Amino acid sequence: MNNDTDTNIKLRLSNSELWGGLIGLGLGGFVTWQALKLKLGTINDPGSGYVLFYTGILMCVFASSIIVSAVTEGGPTLASRWENVRWSKPLLVIACLAAFSFALEPLGFLLSSIPLMLLLLRLIDPVRWTLAIPVAVLVPSGMWWVLKRLLLIQLPSGLFGIG
Amino acid sequence: MDTLLNVAHGFGVALLPINLLYCFIGVFIGTLVGVLPGIGPISAMSLLLPVTLSGTPESGIIMMAGIYYGSMYGGSTTSILVNIPGEAASVVTCIDGHQMAKQGRAGPALGISAFGSFIAGTFALIALMLVAPRLASIAIAFGPAEYFSLMVLGLVVLTFLTQGSMPKALLMACIGVVLGLIGLDSITAQPRLTFGRMELIDGIGLVPVVMGLFGVAEVLLNTEQALRRDIINAKITQLLPNKEDWQASAGPVARGTLLGFLLGILPGGGAVVASFASYALEKRLSKTPARFGHGAIEGVAGPESANNAAAGGAFIPLMTLGIPPNVVMALLLGAFVIHGLQPGPLLITQNPGLFWGIVASMYIGNVMLLILNLPMIGMWVQLLKLPYNILFPLIILFTILGVYCSSNNVFDVYVMIAFGIIGYFMRKLGYEPAPLVLAFVLGPMLENNLRKSLILSQGDLWTFVQRPISAACLTLALLLLIAPLLPSLRKKRELVALDEGA
Repeated sequence: MNNDTDTNIKLRLSNSELWGGLIGLGLGGFVTWQALKLKLGTINDPGSGYVLFYTGILMCVFASSIIVSAVTEGGPTLASRWENVRWSKPLLVIACLAAFSFALEPLGFLLSSIPLMLLLLRLIDPVRWTLAIPVAVLVPSGMWWVLKRLLLIQLPSGLFGIG
Repeated sequence: MDTLLNVAHGFGVALLPINLLYCFIGVFIGTLVGVLPGIGPISAMSLLLPVTLSGTPESGIIMMAGIYYGSMYGGSTTSILVNIPGEAASVVTCIDGHQMAKQGRAGPALGISAFGSFIAGTFALIALMLVAPRLASIAIAFGPAEYFSLMVLGLVVLTFLTQGSMPKALLMACIGVVLGLIGLDSITAQPRLTFGRMELIDGIGLVPVVMGLFGVAEVLLNTEQALRRDIINAKITQLLPNKEDWQASAGPVARGTLLGFLLGILPGGGAVVASFASYALEKRLSKTPARFGHGAIEGVAGPESANNAAAGGAFIPLMTLGIPPNVVMALLLGAFVIHGLQPGPLLITQNPGLFWGIVASMYIGNVMLLILNLPMIGMWVQLLKLPYNILFPLIILFTILGVYCSSNNVFDVYVMIAFGIIGYFMRKLGYEPAPLVLAFVLGPMLENNLRKSLILSQGDLWTFVQRPISAACLTLALLLLIAPLLPSLRKKRELVALDEGA
């Protein structure tokens, strides 16, 4: 399959435009449903769900328009969006951030941010260990010291009370 | 006479040592983020939004404004020397600026860019001083219907100018409105879309949303490619443009300034649109258009003046109507709100020190920028050599700390990481975050004004059409919504549609 057909596929599940539209439609439907659960009110006295309801309807309209255009005009495939790029790098950074978000409260700021920095320094475009370790340790520690000692901002200290 | 007295009062505020320091920090950081490709003024402003909490409102807003117009200056340095735009408004400067640098004329290119920016910035400030108080006195008469229609127009213009398909931009704007409405209803105090989470009762914060969508997502996108830099290594000499350069640049600077200022005032417009429009205008007016793209100084002078004038003009709708015309101004609105201030028609009369202090500081900031960008150009060139593999992890750490410090709440860090990931996938699928952020800020005001106008008019929708300003705004918005359906207008839209968020 040549590149043109690969990036302009109609009525295929791999069409990224179709998926974008479907997610939008789902979100629009969800917002409309949530708005209906709130009080819609009347045009004389709009309730809490009034604007949300019509915004949800508009979302469905725009998302449907994206879907129709994806079906009739085609669009790039999901794979082509990540063609010729180092797709693994952002995924690794996302994984690091997800791990950090789980570790932040139990481990505290210092114990979670030092490994995060070290991982990021080594994973994006590897920095040599002799530079990565001092940067990963000194920058979060320095920031922690400035915030905690100078600005008196309490950072999460975790179960071990470090930080 | 009143204006002169007010300006003197403003300089009294802006020249306070603490405000001078904040102004310097703002323009310095602005130049820094302008110089560094990959980080734009939006990321830097969102990163520093929590810092504004520590000082007075004047200091915080002076610093934030400094970052914005400072980045307009700094962006040209990278465009000229590296051929990578430091920020979106300098994209067009690459075309002729880098060619001039390759021909050994980096000095005059940087010089005319700095002088043009200074002239345009000064003009925009004088115009701001003259126009803003008059517009504010008119805006006092605006009712909720006018405000609602103006906000609708602002959102539609921004979606019209956003890169990609218009339904996508409109969908983003709707999502922004919904996100803005999360939390307690301001009229009935009923919780909306909180799903029983106490953290959502006050709504989602602007800082984590913007830092995620622009800061974290920007880093994720940049990690996809190894950034290669082709820096002009020759020593930069003769920064002052010669007589011929000035003769060639005088017209483009004047036209760019005027065009940029007018485009800056328009809701949804901004520095990016202004720089492209100025380049197109100069090429069209030139007797030798073939020189454009091969090192024509007019191609640097016009756009650089235009983007700085637009940066100044964009303050008018925010200061006089309380409506941010673009995402950067939405962030500035956030800084006002953090300090319990509401920009709008009453700001100038109720807080003259604040308004005139900000205006005067912008003038001082422009002078600082001229000094920072000409004699100190060598320092910025050295900065371009900073390795990104160290810079990106640092940005992530600063965003985490920035978000946490703005609310002392770990939940906001989770929100930022989530929006960072969402923002990355949004951009990969061609959904721009700018309409979402502007709608997120405008959403609660939009809802409030809509509900108020419906209650006041007892449900009569004609109230939006019977009022001339409201009718004009809605008509324009409708025309812009219909425009992409016409093939000729769709082509024109694609030409001007830009990535405002970069």
